[in-house]
Amino acid sequence: MVAVNLAVLAWMLITSVREHREIFATPFDWPGFAWGNYAEAWQSADFGVAAANSLILVATAAVAVVIVAAPAGYALGRSVERAAASLTLYFALGIGVPVQVIVIPLFVLMERLSLVNNLFGLFLLYVAVSLPFTVFLLTGYFASLPGELEEAAAIDGASRLRTFWTIMLPLARSGLITAFTLNAIGLWNEAFLALVFVQSTDKQTLPLALLGFLAKQQYSGADYGVLFAGVAILVLPMLLLYVWLGRRIIEGMTLGAGK
Amino acid sequence: MAVLIREHTTVHRGQGPTITRQRRRAFLILALPAVILYTIFFVGPTLASFWVSLHAWDGVTEMRWRGLDNFTLLFEDEVFLAAFRNTLAILLAGGLLVFMLSFALLLGMRAMAGRRFARSVVFFPNIIAPIVLSVLWGFLFSTDGLVNAALGGVGLDAPNWLGDHLFLVIFLGLIWTNTGFYVTILMAATDRIPRYFYEAAELDGAGPLQQFRHITMPLSWDVVSTAAVIWTISSLKVFDFIYAFGGTSNDLPPIHTWNTAVFIYGQTFGGRVPAYSFGYASASAVITLVSVIVFVLLLRRVMRRDPIQF
Repeated sequence: MVAVNLAVLAWMLITSVREHREIFATPFDWPGFAWGNYAEAWQSADFGVAAANSLILVATAAVAVVIVAAPAGYALGRSVERAAASLTLYFALGIGVPVQVIVIPLFVLMERLSLVNNLFGLFLLYVAVSLPFTVFLLTGYFASLPGELEEAAAIDGASRLRTFWTIMLPLARSGLITAFTLNAIGLWNEAFLALVFVQSTDKQTLPLALLGFLAKQQYSGADYGVLFAGVAILVLPMLLLYVWLGRRIIEGMTLGAGK
Repeated sequence: MAVLIREHTTVHRGQGPTITRQRRRAFLILALPAVILYTIFFVGPTLASFWVSLHAWDGVTEMRWRGLDNFTLLFEDEVFLAAFRNTLAILLAGGLLVFMLSFALLLGMRAMAGRRFARSVVFFPNIIAPIVLSVLWGFLFSTDGLVNAALGGVGLDAPNWLGDHLFLVIFLGLIWTNTGFYVTILMAATDRIPRYFYEAAELDGAGPLQQFRHITMPLSWDVVSTAAVIWTISSLKVFDFIYAFGGTSNDLPPIHTWNTAVFIYGQTFGGRVPAYSFGYASASAVITLVSVIVFVLLLRRVMRRDPIQF
């Protein structure tokens, strides 16, 4: 039994070393030669444009999701309406639907709206596919808030909309930040929808730039320095966010399972 | 006096429905934007893929009715069958390994100092883009990569991982990237179990494995079953990690490594000459969705136990 535990421990240590290597391999490259790699990745591999696209797209989409999902989460999490329970289920079911199942009808729909190869189109899709999880998360969050303040507001004659806006929304700030962060991470890393809906280089996001760079490498020979500079551009913002908000991220992402 | 009372009551009677109506209106105003967006861009397309799966369609010309032909063809299509087998391998064998590893790690980390830190390290792959993980993983298994260097160090042959055993590499990579998530979930669940259960068990002479079997498992069972559902859903969503092993933005990975998600992409938008077989690919999308439903229901059934209060 001790041996099993030791083997497990050893395995875990190896894993953590692996991950450390990832975490630290790229920063360790900096002092030597890597600044040139970054410049190269930024310019010749189009990471610069892609980073700007990703940043704007992800920031606006993650904010928009929260703006749309927060009122819904409040309505579903704190209502006596009979519709609330069935709507909650309606949104929760969406979590089980893989994106590749809906991508074909979505493509046709977006083509009719002439929103293919269009960053606003991708923005719309990002908001839509993030909705089920975000509504689910915020419904749970609003339901867990104490009800006294809400009752007090009702006694004072505040309407429901006003109660939501002035009392519950500020109270739910922490949940909203979690929702924003999780969506920002998910969308920043998203490659599938971008792959299908973006065709031109000037509109691509960072994951696409990385894939494009891999393609270029096949012809011009591998330059791992630049490749890893590109990887770092994609990873570092997430790493910073993780160091800053790690606990919140972990708890938010595992919320559905742990009671 | 009578008039006054009557007036009073009518006011009351009038107010009830108004409040209900107001509440309902507020409910609609709050929930409607999300419902509309979700219905148009998510639920609509889900239902539409059932409809499309019954047709031959390239997305441009008129749809032609094919009934269930797409489905019968799919089950004769070697490429699809291989993709479906891979999906199932990831779901079932991968799932088993992920959960075994998670529990093993959990046992190993129980008595460890700095387990919070260990947890953050194990969880880390979850916030990294799957294509980045894929690049790193491929890097480890490349011909002169770390794995082969290690094998060479112990005097073993260095296989051509990415050429001859690519699906195995992908399979192991998926386990590596996903285990941390389940370790974290299970850790949260097992941390809620009071220590004195274990102390009592120890006094009775139960070893770690017995404690695990008779305390940890039953008391975290509902979380384990939810985690199994999450694994089922997320394993069917895997795309980026496999796709990036194709190495480029316009080539697909080798056919024998496809899962159903890559298959759908390969039959529609992917590759140098996209096929745009919307109907055919939709049929496989429907099969994916039906698999999700079947497996989740099955899991729910198999794993149902009476909850234990503690």
